[in-house]
Amino acid sequence: MSQANARVLILDDDALVLSGLARLIRAAGHSVECFDSAEGLLDRTDLADFPTCLLLDLQMPGMNGLDLQRRLQRRMPIIFLTGHGDICSSVDAMKAGAIDFLPKPVCEVSLLAVLDRALKIAVEEFNKRREREEIEERVGHLTPREREVMALVVTGRLNKQVASDLGASEKTIKIHRARVFEKMKTRSITELVRLFDKVQVRDAE
Amino acid sequence: MIHESMHSRDSGKQSLGTTGCSQAQCRRSSVGFSEWSLASCLKAVVNSDSEIIARGRSGYKAAFPAFSISCLDAAIRPDDSADANMQSPGRSHAAFPRLAAFFSWISTRHRRADSLFDVKTSLAEALELLPVAIFAVDHNDRIAFANSCLAEILDYTREELIGARVDSFFPSDCDVDSSFPGLNEDHCRHTFDASTTRLLAVQRRNGGSFAAQANTVECHMHNRPFRITALHDRTGYCEVERSGKELAHLVRVSSLGELTGSLAHELNQPLTAILSNAQAAKRFAQSDTIDRMELNEALNDIVLANVRASEVIQKIRTLARKGDIDLLPLDIGSVVDDIALLVHNDGVIRDVRIAFDVGADLPKVYGDRVQLGQVLLNLILNAFDATKDCSPTDRTVETTVRVQPGGGVRITVRDRGHGLAPDQIDKLFMPFFTTKPQGLGLGLSISRMIVNAHGGRLWGENNEGKGASFHVTLPQRQPREEDAARRAS
Repeated sequence: MSQANARVLILDDDALVLSGLARLIRAAGHSVECFDSAEGLLDRTDLADFPTCLLLDLQMPGMNGLDLQRRLQRRMPIIFLTGHGDICSSVDAMKAGAIDFLPKPVCEVSLLAVLDRALKIAVEEFNKRREREEIEERVGHLTPREREVMALVVTGRLNKQVASDLGASEKTIKIHRARVFEKMKTRSITELVRLFDKVQVRDAE
Repeated sequence: MIHESMHSRDSGKQSLGTTGCSQAQCRRSSVGFSEWSLASCLKAVVNSDSEIIARGRSGYKAAFPAFSISCLDAAIRPDDSADANMQSPGRSHAAFPRLAAFFSWISTRHRRADSLFDVKTSLAEALELLPVAIFAVDHNDRIAFANSCLAEILDYTREELIGARVDSFFPSDCDVDSSFPGLNEDHCRHTFDASTTRLLAVQRRNGGSFAAQANTVECHMHNRPFRITALHDRTGYCEVERSGKELAHLVRVSSLGELTGSLAHELNQPLTAILSNAQAAKRFAQSDTIDRMELNEALNDIVLANVRASEVIQKIRTLARKGDIDLLPLDIGSVVDDIALLVHNDGVIRDVRIAFDVGADLPKVYGDRVQLGQVLLNLILNAFDATKDCSPTDRTVETTVRVQPGGGVRITVRDRGHGLAPDQIDKLFMPFFTTKPQGLGLGLSISRMIVNAHGGRLWGENNEGKGASFHVTLPQRQPREEDAARRAS
C-alpha cells in the first residue's frame, strides 16, 4: 500500500529510544527519518515532497508533542508515543486529529499496524494534495473571464444562458469554453465538474 | 512520698544509704557519706531542671517542716559561689552533667566542715530526695546504695538491690547504641571531674529492658572508691529519634510519590529502547541476509538501555531506602547528577527548564548521599512549585554547585517564581508550615535538620530580580570526621 517514497518521521528527545524505534521500523521495511527536537522537524521545508507520517513523543523539553501537533496543522498523520499519558493529553491529541496514542514501551505488532494505517492515510492525503495542486495549477492558467465562464458552465447552464448572464455573445462564450477545456486538460463536462469540485472543496476548507 | 525508712543491711559492713528520715527529724547515718547540707544538695542541681527543684522543695518541706523554705530558696538561687565552682566553660544546661558535677562536688566538699545551713543530713538522704534513679557501686561492682526511685524503675526492692552485682541490671554495661546522637559527640568525650555519660540497656525484674542515659562519677569516700550513677530513662528519646528517621523516610517517599509519573517515564524510555531493539534484532536475525553490523548495534543498544534502567531503579531504591545516616566522603556533584536524573522528566512535564551547573574542582564533603539527595530533591521540587503559575519564560530552576569561599561547597537552587513573602521567610523552616494545599510542611524543616547534622547551613532568600534562592553550604571533609566514620563503622 505504501508508496515507495513514503517515510516515517520519528521525533523523540531520547537518542536510545530514537535509534531503537528507527531500527525496528526500518527492519519492518519502511524508510525512516529521525529528529531529536520539534524545531529540527519544523525547519525542514521539503517534508511536503513525499508522503510522511510522524511518530511523536508527547513529552519533550522545549516544544512538546501537542504544541508541535498544532504547529503542523494536520499536514501529516501523527501517532503519539508517551511514557505516561494522562487522559487529558490523549483526548487533546485525538481531538486534534492524531491517528493513535500509544503507551511506551510499545509492542511491535500494534506499532506496525498503526504505522501501516498512518502511512496509508499519508499516501492518500499526499495523492489528493498532489492532484489538487495540479488542478489548481491548471486553474491558475485561466483568465478571469474564463474562470467566470467555467463557474457557470459547471452549474449546467447552456452557452446561450452563460452568454446572457455575462452579457456577451454566444460565440465568444464558445471560444472561452473551448479554452477552459483545453487549459483544464479535459474533454467532457463531467470531468470538468469533478475537477472544479475538488478545488471548490479546497477553497471551502 | 520520697521518704521511707532505709535499713542497714549489715551493721558490721560499711554500706551506703542506711539512713531514714522522719518528720522534722534528721538522723545521721552511722556509716557512709559524711554530713551534708540538704540545701546544698538541691543547690547542686539548681540549674538542671525546674521540676526537680520543685519536687526537691516539696520534699524538703515535707522532711523539714520546721525550717523556712526561704532558706532553701536562698540556697538554690543561681550565682552562688558554690555553683560558680561547678560551672565549667561550655557546659550544657542538661540535667545530667550537672548531676555528675553534683556528685563530684560532693566528693570534694564532704570533707569540709562548713555548710550553708545548720541542718545537716547525709548524702544518702539527699540522694533519696532527688527524683532521679541513683545508685552507687563499690570497687567489687556491687551495688552499695540505691535510692527508691531506682528500685521503682527496676521493679526490685532496695534490699534486693543492695549487694547485688551491678551487671545483673545493666547487662554488659556497655553502650546500647554507639550512634546515639549527641552522646558520642558531646557527652562521652566530654568528661569533667571524671564523670562519663553513656546510654545503657537497663533490665527490669520482668526481663524487659529499656534505654537509659547514665551519668557516672567516680569518687572516694573514706578512701574507698565508689562509682555513683544517675539514670535517666531515654526510651522516649530513642522513640523520638526513631520517629524522626521514619518521618524523614516518609518525606523522601512522598517526594518520590510526587515524581511517580516522571519516574515511570524515566523507566519507560529505556524499556522502549530495549523492546524495539530486541524486536528489530529478531527481524534482522530472521531475514535471509543477516546484517551482522545492524544486529550488533541493536544488541549494544539493548545493553546500554538496560544499564540506564538499572541506574534509575538504583536511584529510586537509594532514595526510598530506610536506614541510618551513612556518613561517607562524598562527591557532591554526583549527588546532584543523581537528582538531575530523577527530576528531569518532572521538569519536562511541568514545562520547567532545569539547569544544573556543577563547578570544577569541588572539594569532597562528608555526608550521607541519601539525605543530601533528599534535601536537594526537596529544594528543586519546591522550586518547581514556586514557578507553577509563572509565564513560560520564568519557569526556570537553576541548580549551581560552587566552591564555598573559606572551604566546603555551596549548592544554590534558584527559581524565577513568585518569591517568598516577607512574613514567610521566618516560618519557612518551621515544621508543618506550608503554603501548598497538599503540603506536609515538613520538607524544609527536615532538610534543615539534615543539613545542620552535616555541619552545614540551609537558608532561603529572595533574589534581587524575580524568585527565590535556597542555599546549602556544607563544610569540607575533615580528617577528624574520617576518624569518626571509622569509629562508627
